Amino acid sequence: MTVLGQILLSALFQGSLYAMMAVGLALVWTTIGVFNFCHGVLMTLGAYLAWQFVDPEALGLPMFVALPLALLVVAAIGFALQALLIRPFIGRGDVVLVAVITTLAASSILKNGTLLVWGPRPKSIPPLAPDTIALGASNVSAHQLAIIAITPVVLGLVWLFLNRTRVGLALRAVAQNEDACQLVGMNVTALYALAFGLAAALAALAGIFFGGFKFMSPDMGTEPLTKALVVVIFGGIANITGPILAAYIIGLFEAVSIYYVGFYWTPALLFAVLIVVLMVRPEGLFARSSRGLA
Amino acid sequence: MSDLLEVEALESGYGRIGILHGISLATGGHNVGLFGPNGHGKTTLLRTISGVIRATRGKIRFAGEDVTAWPARRIVELGLLHVPQGSRLFPDLTIRETLRLGAWPRRARPREARNLERAVAIFPRLKERWNQPVKTLSGGERQMVAISVALMGDPKLLILDEPTLGLAPRLKDELCAAIRQVSDEGVRLVVVEQDVEFLLDLADHLYLVNHGEIAAEIRPGESMNHQAIMEMYFGRELGPLT
Repeated sequence: MTVLGQILLSALFQGSLYAMMAVGLALVWTTIGVFNFCHGVLMTLGAYLAWQFVDPEALGLPMFVALPLALLVVAAIGFALQALLIRPFIGRGDVVLVAVITTLAASSILKNGTLLVWGPRPKSIPPLAPDTIALGASNVSAHQLAIIAITPVVLGLVWLFLNRTRVGLALRAVAQNEDACQLVGMNVTALYALAFGLAAALAALAGIFFGGFKFMSPDMGTEPLTKALVVVIFGGIANITGPILAAYIIGLFEAVSIYYVGFYWTPALLFAVLIVVLMVRPEGLFARSSRGLA
Repeated sequence: MSDLLEVEALESGYGRIGILHGISLATGGHNVGLFGPNGHGKTTLLRTISGVIRATRGKIRFAGEDVTAWPARRIVELGLLHVPQGSRLFPDLTIRETLRLGAWPRRARPREARNLERAVAIFPRLKERWNQPVKTLSGGERQMVAISVALMGDPKLLILDEPTLGLAPRLKDELCAAIRQVSDEGVRLVVVEQDVEFLLDLADHLYLVNHGEIAAEIRPGESMNHQAIMEMYFGRELGPLT
């Protein structure tokens, strides 16, 4: 395969993972107005629960049962976390700061909980598609191609949900004017819970993607969370299309930089670009000034 | 009692600051108008009635239910729709999307198509801006959307908080005629308004809200002229200058 092909493949693959993580973060930010530092550990939980359900040493369920089950359980965990960590503080002026502390604390507890329950030995879950596919001269893992194909479909469905269904409209509306939502009869706390649950499920899916090609560790969610933060800041947190575009752009940037500059300097270069972007466009590349999902 | 809305010795406020000090009123079978100086509790009264803020004391009955401690969304389900003052609605949603959200209450769903037809019949102008985000609309158009959203909720009682705030006189007349039309179709109104002519046009039963209390009341059938209301407002006889 040509160099260009390899770079593009790597960009699409990393971009997919970043997009999957970043959309969840953006969803929670736009509806509830807080940053969720549990997002990385929700990804970890998704991977470990999938392992628990699917691995022959554990429950040994078939993939098509285990994976949706893992997504559902993580969505439920997200729902519960939201009720414990964020809902009690909604309405306080300092909710953003409080939520940083509570979600960071929960993230630390859950990370160590994962270590206690599943131990430090690296695990992996079976890839979504086990084969390799010949693409040009070289072989590409089918798992990676599956992720590249599935991600736009999933994110497209999220977009359709937010733009075409009444509940999705309500999620966008609650981000824009909570009072008016109450006055048309919406249950605002239920919408918050829904946003958080959906975001958690997306993180879990990213975790399942991750666990299919790399070894899992209780700390596996930390780096993707940092990347997702960079992505949403880069793309703007005003809607979900900005972070999606930004995720792929950053994926491409990293792929190019790793090939030509090297693995070592890539993060530094990425942050340098981020700082420049923030100086030129503090709202992010694709953001408008108002908050809202679209 | 067959009163649609009945408020009894209502007290409420924000935090420890009391705003309402025992307000009682009832709609009977009439449209109610509230007037009085700014900052004396009219908006707080409406927000308490619709459940956005909690009453600290007193009672609110609507459609035969004691709704005093109910959250806003349950009160909406009973058919009480509140159009807040100068609402910016949902800036990034289009008119079409916003009206779709208006039909959120379960009881309004079966009548969504009919209610939409009615709203568009009353405010034909909205059709011209159908797929435009609400933030691009003028103040008058936004007010029309806000009232239409409430109509989509299939109201029995419509609460309007200063619907003409900041509107041009021509638009005021248009809006007044539209609201009259809503009322003629059997929706009861509670209107807060500074424009006395507007209020006299729509309401049969007026209350003057002052210092968080009902300072005066003009019952249906009692003479209501501009002069009398101005006197109530300012608390003195007005000279020939006005």
